[in-house]
Amino acid sequence: MQKTGIAVWDQVEIAQRQCAAWRFPLRSIWVERIESEWHALSLSEPGNRSEARSMFIPRTQKPTSSQWRHYLHRESGLVQPTPVLPDRPMVVRPDRALTLLPGQSTIFFLEIPVWFRLSTIGPRALRIFEEPLCVLTRTWFGDPVTGELCWGLAARLHHSIDSVEPSAWTAVCPLMIENDSDTDLDFEKICLHVENLSIFRGTLRLWANSLNVIFKGPDQATQIEIVHTPPGFEQGLTLVSAARQPSAGWNIRKTFGMLKYFTDF
Amino acid sequence: MIQQITLWLQSISPDVLTKALRVTLTILLGLFVVRVLAVVTQRFIMRKSTPQRQMIARKVISYAGFFLVLMGVLSELGLKLTAILGAAGIVGIAVGFASQTSVSNIISGLFLISEKPFGVGDVIRMGATTGIIQSIDLLSIKIRTFDNLFVRIPNEKILTSEVTNITRFPIRRMDIVFQVDYDQDLNKVHDLLARIARDNPWSLDEPVPVIVLSDFKESGIEILLGMWFAKTDFMDLKNSIMKDMVSSFAAEGVRFAHPNRLVKIVEGSAATS
Repeated sequence: MQKTGIAVWDQVEIAQRQCAAWRFPLRSIWVERIESEWHALSLSEPGNRSEARSMFIPRTQKPTSSQWRHYLHRESGLVQPTPVLPDRPMVVRPDRALTLLPGQSTIFFLEIPVWFRLSTIGPRALRIFEEPLCVLTRTWFGDPVTGELCWGLAARLHHSIDSVEPSAWTAVCPLMIENDSDTDLDFEKICLHVENLSIFRGTLRLWANSLNVIFKGPDQATQIEIVHTPPGFEQGLTLVSAARQPSAGWNIRKTFGMLKYFTDF
Repeated sequence: MIQQITLWLQSISPDVLTKALRVTLTILLGLFVVRVLAVVTQRFIMRKSTPQRQMIARKVISYAGFFLVLMGVLSELGLKLTAILGAAGIVGIAVGFASQTSVSNIISGLFLISEKPFGVGDVIRMGATTGIIQSIDLLSIKIRTFDNLFVRIPNEKILTSEVTNITRFPIRRMDIVFQVDYDQDLNKVHDLLARIARDNPWSLDEPVPVIVLSDFKESGIEILLGMWFAKTDFMDLKNSIMKDMVSSFAAEGVRFAHPNRLVKIVEGSAATS
């Protein structure tokens, strides 16, 4: 097994006493199968900027660490690594101040870091573990009483998919935003409920469901539509992981963080 | 012995035996039904309710059920309920006068249940006591402190005292107050604190951490660092941020202020001469 790019998400047969490694920028994961146990280790590697790749390594080269976790499981050695979206909503802070004028609409492509999930394949597919591939900050969206705990992400809003570097550890989320109000829409931050989104696999990229967002004004809830079909920016996409919390139809949520809350002195 | 019991049973009339059997059945069946009702309500009907509501429902069903069973037993024994209830009313008034504190606690308990300043599972602080609420009863609330002590606080005392519900809201702010020497570069200290808060995995980046140069003190400048965190992360943030501050300050050469005294010996004074 020596795979790079999107192929790192292919299923793998790990034999007894064999160690597999998945190396991503920022994080590496080692998995070893010993009798009825899976041993897994996840380490942050801030210096590793290379392309995502997976390989078998000699057991002598596996890292020595007290953080190895052991999972008891008696199924076969066939495992499926799967990219999944984070388990909480995500507050995205654009890298630059953007204002959408009234009546205008636009499309952005957001890169969302995925989590690594390892599951067994067989009559009883079981999840072994999940690990974030990128350390996200914790943040709060909304007021201190009724808001929600989210992951924070500073991200670039791409206007074209061509400017998004193909990556095996981020999912591209097409975001169509329409300002259907009389006021300017300032993007300070945007809260995306990524737990409602699925991931599709393309030839070079991972994709999340497209989102249609209609901004009705600062005093009204924003309407969000999840497009359940694969994004139309690439043909032949296949579903690789379903949404953690499937959501049908239109949702109405406070999406844009425009209000300043009095949280200081 | 067996002969004596047999003779005694033979001496009892069939009516009395039937009555005794019916009373026993009423008690056993009644208590069983009350128990089943309480469990079914708590585990199935109110499965999605808060633990506090489940507890209240269970107690209401239990108390009402026991009362009905008692009434049923008394009825089986041939006692007139109206007379008993009338007597109970008179006795109740007498007992009420004699136990004003208990009645006050019961009324306070009803207020607490309706006002809901806290619920089962909340962490509250009252005076020097901080702990997790285990139950809210008619007379008192029971809490378990973090060093695993059982504390009972009468409801009346709670109603008339200041109680802080620490876990009412989902996020809190942790304030750390410390001092640095007067000769420190305050801009550098400010930037360092901002970086420490930003890099800490438990500190929320929104709401933004608060850094305030709060006061000129005797030995140094007092600074407040306030970081927001999810209420479950108190210990993780507290321990990690203290370690981060000490190590980062040492690495950047920032000194915490310590109490100090400057003693000047003046030449020609009485002491030196």
